[in-house]
Amino acid sequence: MHGLRLAFNYLRIGVLNEFQYRANFYIQILQTFIALATGLIGLNLVFSQTDQLGGWSKPELLAVMGVFITMGGVIRSAIQPNMERLMEEIREGKLDFALTKPADAQLLVSVREFRFWQLVDVLTGMVVMGVALAQMNWVITAWSVAGFFTAIVMGAVMIYCFWLVITTTAFWFVRVHEIANLFEGLYAAGRWPIDIYPNWLRIGLTFLVPVAFAVTVPAEALTGRLTFQSWLGAFALTIFLFIMARSIWKIGLKSYSGASA
Amino acid sequence: MSSVISISKLAKHYEVPEREAGLKAAAMGLIKRRYKTVKAVDGISFEIQPGEVVGFLGPNGAGKTTTLKMLSGLLHPTSGSTSVLGFEPAKRSHDFLRQITLVMGNRNQLSWDLPALDSFDLQRAIYSIPMDEFKRTRDEFIELLELKELVQKPIRNLSLGERMKMEIVGALLHKPKILFLDEPTLGLDVTMQKRIRTFVAEYNKRYGATVLLTSHYMADVEALCKRVVVIHHGRLLFDGELSALVEKFSAFKTVGFTINNASVDWTQYGEVISTDGARMVLRVPKEKTSAITTRLLNDLAVEDLTVEAAPIEDVIESVFAVKEETME
Amino acid sequence: MKRYFDYYRATMKLSVLEQLQYPVANYFYMIGMIAEPVIYMVVWSAVARQQGGMVGGYTPGAFAAYYIVWTLVRNMNIVFTPYGWEWRIREGQLSMSLLRPIHPLHGDVAYFAGWKVVVILLWLPLAFVLSLIFKPELNPTLLQGVVFFFAIWMAYLIRTMTLSLLGMVTFWTTRVSALFELYFAAELILSGRLVPLSLMPDWVQKLAWFFPFRWAFGFPIEALVGNMSTSDLLTGLGMQLAWILFGVISVSLIWKVAIRRFSAVGG
Repeated sequence: MHGLRLAFNYLRIGVLNEFQYRANFYIQILQTFIALATGLIGLNLVFSQTDQLGGWSKPELLAVMGVFITMGGVIRSAIQPNMERLMEEIREGKLDFALTKPADAQLLVSVREFRFWQLVDVLTGMVVMGVALAQMNWVITAWSVAGFFTAIVMGAVMIYCFWLVITTTAFWFVRVHEIANLFEGLYAAGRWPIDIYPNWLRIGLTFLVPVAFAVTVPAEALTGRLTFQSWLGAFALTIFLFIMARSIWKIGLKSYSGASA
Repeated sequence: MSSVISISKLAKHYEVPEREAGLKAAAMGLIKRRYKTVKAVDGISFEIQPGEVVGFLGPNGAGKTTTLKMLSGLLHPTSGSTSVLGFEPAKRSHDFLRQITLVMGNRNQLSWDLPALDSFDLQRAIYSIPMDEFKRTRDEFIELLELKELVQKPIRNLSLGERMKMEIVGALLHKPKILFLDEPTLGLDVTMQKRIRTFVAEYNKRYGATVLLTSHYMADVEALCKRVVVIHHGRLLFDGELSALVEKFSAFKTVGFTINNASVDWTQYGEVISTDGARMVLRVPKEKTSAITTRLLNDLAVEDLTVEAAPIEDVIESVFAVKEETME
Repeated sequence: MKRYFDYYRATMKLSVLEQLQYPVANYFYMIGMIAEPVIYMVVWSAVARQQGGMVGGYTPGAFAAYYIVWTLVRNMNIVFTPYGWEWRIREGQLSMSLLRPIHPLHGDVAYFAGWKVVVILLWLPLAFVLSLIFKPELNPTLLQGVVFFFAIWMAYLIRTMTLSLLGMVTFWTTRVSALFELYFAAELILSGRLVPLSLMPDWVQKLAWFFPFRWAFGFPIEALVGNMSTSDLLTGLGMQLAWILFGVISVSLIWKVAIRRFSAVGG
């Protein structure tokens, strides 16, 4: 488990680094606040005109927003920084360390960076979820809690795999960093449950970009909508994406080092 | 002939916050900020006549770039006066800006992805150069610098030296009367440096432009400038002919000769700089030169005796080593 | 006057040539950008269908029209960012442009204007595809079309002025991201970018009159997509003109002060 220890050390350094930049904390608070305010305004505007959307009530949509914010925090603190750094290093040919350290390269490149202050989003999202659940007169069941936590983990893994696949294509296509812009836009679709999207868009969102899975499924768990089938489907997709991402990563790494495929 | 650049007691002071290391100082810094006055330029004066090519020398941080920025209108002086072509540069009148150019080694004006010709056309529009005059000037410069095949290639495909040539052409298309060149040959190979030097000299000859040039390369200064202005610690250290600078600041001369006897104690004559087979070079104090050469000729069987002034680099080094307190 | 015309033409030509070198990058950016309005469109169409086909005077088809035109107006709104001001002061690019006998802001306006020409060309096929998918209801009159054409260019100028003012703050301090973020948030709400302003509560709509945001965003869209009367359309153009004038005057005044400070401190 040497690799894990190495990874943990990277993480520790990354976090200590972040503590140096206390200004980032305040900027993060402001950004989170603005994003939350904007989201709430949007939600209230919709509900000034109607009292349910796609079968979801206002507190239920508030719960969706909470999951959205939390997942966004997870992505921006742990997943995106690593992928962006990886993209840059692929572009500049600086990946030699990945081939020379006695640990799994994929693990290393995935945990080096950690934007500690983005955890504010995770916290904020959980507060929003709490408020939403209170408004919904939520009944705690083992299934909804277990379903929620497993769905969050699966969702994060799916998004990670998606990012990794896109980033790995940087081995072959140079201008991949514009993908980051694209992702921001696509992720915003997760703000609303996929039920409200037209079918064709729904398929695109869940299979091409597992955004909906990452946000809607945990939200379904929270609001008591999660069926075992959906959960199983998410599980299967997670496994599939993970295997696919790792394979593509290995191919990419081989091509980088000049070895034959 | 009235001077075309004239500065009098020009000064530029900056207030910089001052902080010592350590926790206590940091805490104190929160309550009260301490400021220190940095005198980037501390009262310099000189006049430049039209058509002169003046070398502007000084170590890093001496105040050269700051002075150039004040002369081109980018910085307002703290005190003192400047006049360029009768204009006050800080006012940045369009008529003034049309007659000057400032070329800084590492700042590019030309469009990276496009051939230089396209960028030249933009320069024409910026400076409102009449089309036929523009074409004549442009073609003349292209020929002088042998850029004919290169002007069609995107700038990003050119080497550093080729890019610099393009930048200089672009900077001179409006035939400015005053050229401020800040390290124009920085990072270029020797051949390229020579080409640019020749070009500047040619431009000066053809158009009677006044050139103020800063450079680290003595070769630039030696080739182009009869007059040098030395600035150090923000103050004027020397203003005159290059040869006079060498005379004034070099305390040594070098004496070289050929001899077949290696077992001599050279310290009684001077400091050994180099031995190359039978060839020796000694450094001797300037005022003792004739005495020492006489002794060498009398005591030993030396041949091919030469006496030279210290290399300019050494002179400049000793000039720059002048401490601030000892100045004036 | 002629030399300004010449300068604009030359600069626009240069920026068109430059941007034509990067069609893929431009397209990626535009495609990433349409996610936002598509999401808004889908949500509001769902609301409309829920409420019997219309909400706030907009049918799903009208929402489609609004948000598709939105994508063009959004692109016209992209100008030199206030963050870019900080960058160019720091990197010395501003000094270089100060040496030229022409106000640096002309460079900004001219360069981005040329870029917009490329953007509009690239946008047309995108709009066509979006229309096929979302079936917007769009029947503008000739007058609306003409007004729209002028309105989007004036919107571009308005936003150039407001973001230049914002950018010039960096002459005094670089710790400005908080200010910028708050500004963009206000703009998002009050401009008609988040939702058509008619869906906002009354007091917000009244508030929006005091800011330039809606004139740079909501008004051009509504001019083309809505059914404003001729007098409303012309008044709108007049308001845009007024905001541009106000912007130009403010920018010139602040610029003078800013440059004095810049020349004192150096860059």
